[in-house]
Amino acid sequence: MAACTKRLDRFIISLRLLRNLQLQNERFLSTSPCLRVAGNDSESPKFVPPSKPVIVDKTQTVASLRKFLSPEFIPPRQRTDPLKFSIERKDMIRRRKVLNIPEFYVGSILAVIMADPNASGKSNRFVGICIQRGGKGLGATFVLRNIINNQGVEICYELYNPRIQKIEVLKLEKRLDDNLMYLRDALPEYSTVDPEMKPVPFSPTGEVPVNKIKVRMRPKPWSKRWERPKFNLQGIRFDLSLTPEQMEHAQKWAQPWLEYDMLKEYDTSKLEEQIIKEVQQEMSK
Amino acid sequence: MAAWSCRFLFLLRGTRVIPPRATAERPALLVGCIRTAKTTTWFEENLTEDNQEYMRKSMAEEYRRQTAEKLNPLKDEPWPRHEWTEGSRRVGLVAVKLGMVPVWTKTGERHVVTMLQVQDCHIIKCLSKEEYDGHSAALIVGGKNVSPFHRSEKQMEVFRNAGVPPKQKVTAFKVSDSAIIKPGTPLYAAHFRPGQYVDVTGKSIGKGFQGVMKRWGFKGQPATHGQTKTHRRPGASGPGGDPAKVFKGKKMPGQMGNSYITAYGLKIWRVNTKYNVLYVNGSVPGHKNCLLKVRDTVLPSRRSTLLNPPFPTYFTEEDGDLDEDLYDEDLFVHTEPSLTLT
Repeated sequence: MAACTKRLDRFIISLRLLRNLQLQNERFLSTSPCLRVAGNDSESPKFVPPSKPVIVDKTQTVASLRKFLSPEFIPPRQRTDPLKFSIERKDMIRRRKVLNIPEFYVGSILAVIMADPNASGKSNRFVGICIQRGGKGLGATFVLRNIINNQGVEICYELYNPRIQKIEVLKLEKRLDDNLMYLRDALPEYSTVDPEMKPVPFSPTGEVPVNKIKVRMRPKPWSKRWERPKFNLQGIRFDLSLTPEQMEHAQKWAQPWLEYDMLKEYDTSKLEEQIIKEVQQEMSK
Repeated sequence: MAAWSCRFLFLLRGTRVIPPRATAERPALLVGCIRTAKTTTWFEENLTEDNQEYMRKSMAEEYRRQTAEKLNPLKDEPWPRHEWTEGSRRVGLVAVKLGMVPVWTKTGERHVVTMLQVQDCHIIKCLSKEEYDGHSAALIVGGKNVSPFHRSEKQMEVFRNAGVPPKQKVTAFKVSDSAIIKPGTPLYAAHFRPGQYVDVTGKSIGKGFQGVMKRWGFKGQPATHGQTKTHRRPGASGPGGDPAKVFKGKKMPGQMGNSYITAYGLKIWRVNTKYNVLYVNGSVPGHKNCLLKVRDTVLPSRRSTLLNPPFPTYFTEEDGDLDEDLYDEDLFVHTEPSLTLT
């Protein structure tokens, strides 16, 4: 829904223009002689609100907008009735019509405003880098990490929790990995995000920028053995923390047959197309 | 291995001996599966392909006709209806467990609910007090539709008398005499309303023969410090010389799961009348897509929440103007704006 922000701006600007025009007209009418006023009461035209301006964004065609389906819409490979997923999707779409959940990836920087009875102003704002997106359906979650006062803080938010009042993407980007849990063992500079950061504008068309940064790690021991092939991480500079012998030793845990395992195949392309169509239809209603 | 291959060969030999009458069914389907029950036939065995298709289509059409006939039970000489009183018990439903989803209340608390779908629930038979057990009348209710080809003649006769397609699960519900309903009436999810409490009975997931630590939660023995061959054993089995026996009911290893378990006092958060889905609090025994019995609670502390339920059941013709979704008053509906907790 990045396209919405631009449309909203123009909408607000055009609304303001119209309101200004209307105000000027009213002022003009009120300064006219009183005789006209007396007679006009019965025949004064009923207030007709201005028609909503139809904004046609001619700079971007529908085809060039980036097609993004949030990963929690894709049902897992289970023996559940597809009816359960379709009912859940209806609820997810109902929530999305009220709260705009933008497109974001692991590695993007988000700001979340959540209702909190114990906070002053009844809501708190947290800014962080998204390190993980998990769960499917209504229970989908994402974890934001930041370092505040030299203390690393990770908060796991549920996307469809009604206490969330706003989610904004401050910087949209992807990283080399799907899961940035290794930032816990990386140097703190890679997890610090400025809470007063200004949103970086991004276009709703074209590819999402990939940040090919390779992170420097703290000395071992780490919370997990990130060098092992099961994590398949590209975003760490192993040459600074591990010797080539250690890297080779880690390859002992490689399972090269896994990518050829046919029983683990789950082709979601057709399902995705169908769900994208359904979601776009419902959202446009 | 020799025995297995013998059986395999025997099968092949056997299929070739069958006269060419059964040309429709290629032995390819039999290869690889070992058929131990050699006397029963399945409905397709001696039919040609056209006949098989015809049987399937005619079965589907008959189901549709039967369900269409039963859609208006009130117009169709119904039995006399009575009013709901404090002590009367009404029927339950047979539902399919779809899965679990989270829900949120208006105060922001998160609960998990199980979705139960009521698929093709019909009343099959009514048993009076004398016929059933001498204490209360019973109504036999059936769940999901299944094919008639794998049901015996005796079972099919019961379904035919009710005018209803054969069902996968057939159970009895004890009811008071004022709550009996004519056989063939369909039952819908709107029979239950949000805010009500229900008991759900189902067969728990079978875990097979399990040891005492998993089955009863015993602590076992330490892994080290000299334990010889004793890490998950029950240990002592009783007091000692005075009783000089092991008491009956001693917790020991055995079959775990695959038995009927009832979860009591589950709140209904939401009812979807379009798809006939009940959102029931917490978890429920059984695997996904299993059939369960749902009925009003017997717990005395929750009886007060059952005020003016649809009695004896919910009929679409008379109270048919329900919204697609009925919500409990504490539940957050996703069409409302985000919560601002004050």
